[in-house]
Amino acid sequence: MYSNIFLPRQWSRIACLCRTVSTVEAQKLPQNSNSSDGISPPPRIPRGPTDILQALAATVGPDPTAAHYKYHDDPYLIPLSNFRKRSYALSAEAGRKAAAWIRDEHADLFTTREWDPPGKKKTPYLNADPYIEAFAPRPIYNDESKVTEEDFNYTIQNALLEDAIKVYELLGGAQVISDELKIKFLQLLCFYNEKEPISMDWVEERWFAANTRERQAATWRLGGLADSIFTSMEPKTPEAYCAVIQGMAKYYQAERAHALAQEAIEQGIPLSTSVFNSLLSCIGFLKEGTTLRIEALKTLLSQMNEQGLTPNHETLTACLRSVSAWGGGKILQQIALQVIAEFRQIGIQPGLSAYYYLLCLFCKERGAQIDILTSILNDLEKREKLVPQEATDTNFFITAMGVCSDHLQNIDLAERLHKLLMKDDNYKLVGDAYKESIYYRHYITVTCRHAPFEKTLQLLDTLVPNVYVPEPSVMEEIIRTLEVGGAGDRLAQAWSQLVIFGHANRTRLVERLLDAFCNCYQYQDDEVKAKIRSAAADILKFGQMAEEKEESGDRRSPVQKLSATAISNIIELCSDVQDKADPGWDIVGEALNKLRAEQAMGVPARPEILIEVAKKAATVGKPGIAATAVTYLADCGFEEALTASVQTLSLMLNRTEEEVQALLQEDRTKLTSALHPSALVVAEAYHAMKTGTTLHSDSSTSSESDSDSSSDNE
Amino acid sequence: MNSSILKLAQICTTGQINQLSTVLASQLHISAPLCRVVSGKYRITKKKDRPLTYEMANPPHFIAHRKSWNSWNTSSLKDGLRRSETAVEDEFIRRFMNGTWHGLVCSEVIIKRQFNHIRVAAIIRRAVSPMKMYFLLGYTEELLSNWIQCPVTLELQTVDSFKDVVFKYI
Repeated sequence: MYSNIFLPRQWSRIACLCRTVSTVEAQKLPQNSNSSDGISPPPRIPRGPTDILQALAATVGPDPTAAHYKYHDDPYLIPLSNFRKRSYALSAEAGRKAAAWIRDEHADLFTTREWDPPGKKKTPYLNADPYIEAFAPRPIYNDESKVTEEDFNYTIQNALLEDAIKVYELLGGAQVISDELKIKFLQLLCFYNEKEPISMDWVEERWFAANTRERQAATWRLGGLADSIFTSMEPKTPEAYCAVIQGMAKYYQAERAHALAQEAIEQGIPLSTSVFNSLLSCIGFLKEGTTLRIEALKTLLSQMNEQGLTPNHETLTACLRSVSAWGGGKILQQIALQVIAEFRQIGIQPGLSAYYYLLCLFCKERGAQIDILTSILNDLEKREKLVPQEATDTNFFITAMGVCSDHLQNIDLAERLHKLLMKDDNYKLVGDAYKESIYYRHYITVTCRHAPFEKTLQLLDTLVPNVYVPEPSVMEEIIRTLEVGGAGDRLAQAWSQLVIFGHANRTRLVERLLDAFCNCYQYQDDEVKAKIRSAAADILKFGQMAEEKEESGDRRSPVQKLSATAISNIIELCSDVQDKADPGWDIVGEALNKLRAEQAMGVPARPEILIEVAKKAATVGKPGIAATAVTYLADCGFEEALTASVQTLSLMLNRTEEEVQALLQEDRTKLTSALHPSALVVAEAYHAMKTGTTLHSDSSTSSESDSDSSSDNE
Repeated sequence: MNSSILKLAQICTTGQINQLSTVLASQLHISAPLCRVVSGKYRITKKKDRPLTYEMANPPHFIAHRKSWNSWNTSSLKDGLRRSETAVEDEFIRRFMNGTWHGLVCSEVIIKRQFNHIRVAAIIRRAVSPMKMYFLLGYTEELLSNWIQCPVTLELQTVDSFKDVVFKYI
């Protein structure tokens, strides 16, 4: 019964197998363009395992309206300042590290994995199927561990430097280990100079590490493990020489590297191209003076030629790196151009690093303006793809943007460069967080200074705050641009941005913003004016909050106080209201009290503001504020206080100025009974000022200290 | 349950033994009546002050009508794989979330599985600083994915207080 069913089933299976085999075959066969039946399928393109994912990813562009995908998409968890961006990303990574630590410490617990098919037999240890390396516990090596050469190989393969050294010691040192592993170990030690690198797993830590420029000094560990392993090796293989020389050259132990290289050449040991590359890049540490250095460079190159080595693009970069590190000047620039021309002849195009060093060499801060960036961009734009080849490639974009902004001050070039960075997945060439922020700092600065206003606003809207949060210096630049453009609405927004970005405690910036407010307040719509007023009021409140915090001891660094000029700016803005009941007057009152209590730095630059405010307050019906303003002016010893007090009084009492003058000459006791308390205060300010100035009539200008003392004397 | 036992007795007496296996397989019910009346429902309190979220306010028979499932996977479909394992893992994830985000989880923990990827969603109270939340986020994701051996992503939403998720009081 069963056999009946069995055969056709098998048949269909065999047919299916045949079909698949034939399709596989068809795919594998190279296709001729003209086959017999006229159908010519295109030849098969070999695909990698992640090609489809990459193709899918390429369809999604960057979205500047959303936070970076590493942050959680929730209003509470989206960072809006540089500090928060950094700390959130690193916090998440710290959590990940904690989990990894638990996994490694309790590796025996992380073993169960009931994967499909369900019936699979379990073993007592590690049931993961498929076994996924990334999720498996990492071994921990300590003094008690039993280790084998396999462990040693594992640590070397995964660049676990400290673990590798531990295992090496546990194994019993150089005598026990096979030569192949010894070479590998030596290479690892030389590459990292016996310093544990940040693991590849910790992406954020690497991103925020900000090891901007490694120290250009001989940091090679003399007499370290690498040296001792090298000396213990007998006979010394070419690989060993190559590793040690490259390590020494990489960490600027130039003399010993060169000596070792000479020794190797004399003994007839072949050296690799990369050894010569590394030697080329540390010539500057060997010789002094441009001519000697150039000579050494040429000798090394000809030595390379003698050894029968063809230079590669790294040779070009190494040459340029050396040349650019030797300072500037015509001769070096000539040399650099010669080198590039010669390498072009043998078919080696300069990469991003080479261009980076060229920019360093030609575009000095205080040199003549040389525009080599245009031709570089022409070349790079023609290329189909920018392939990262060396670690220094990431320096190109930041330096080029710096050149656009400081050296050439050319917005067109900056835009071209930015377009190049945004093309395909070139954005990975931006480097790390530090470089990225510098890149955008340059870009925004040059845009603010040289681009049309509309375009600047557009750029700011795209970049701020998700892609880039401006630093204080850039913020100042932005405020200046907005002020010149007369965008009052945006200036009012700028205050809330300052608060969000965490710059609100920077007094200089806030004062600059207040200045900008005042300068473009006049020609704004009423609606915008109201916004600016509320922003100014908020600035005052923010300052008070910060001070209260300081008093309660929450803050460690002392709060810088706003200058009197800035506060008088706030007063000017907030007093621009007609209604008596407007909350603006309360702010004015508070600001004046602050001024009087001497909680501000210096004296106002424009006392006429306060006079205007006093008069206005008197007309509107706020005698208290008018009195405070006049008294403060008198306290500060401004000459204008006299006329101001008279004018204010005349407005308060609704009399002509002459009448007020006459009134003021009267006896004080009489005034006390006759006048409103606020008017009395103004009158007293008048008297204080008058006596104060008469006291110091010999000094032509009543300086601040003089008037202070005089008001103290009263 | 009573009725099925009665049926069983009937069948035994009539001697149709060969039908027994199918009956046993299909008609053995456990606590079915209880399920209809009590489970998944909340008792009304005297003071009517028991807070319920939307999810709690809708009894189980509203699943797929007014509310949705708390676990999304294909293990309970025909020929689905890893049924018990999935259930146990889900329970582990729920307990782990409630313990790690202690006193912060305001809703049911929703577990969605797609391919080898597990997405865990929940509503979290904003009782700790964002920095601590990010620490917990990274910790939970990494530990769970190491434990279950597949990528785990947390999809959290935050609310100011528990009151924000209260649908009604009973």
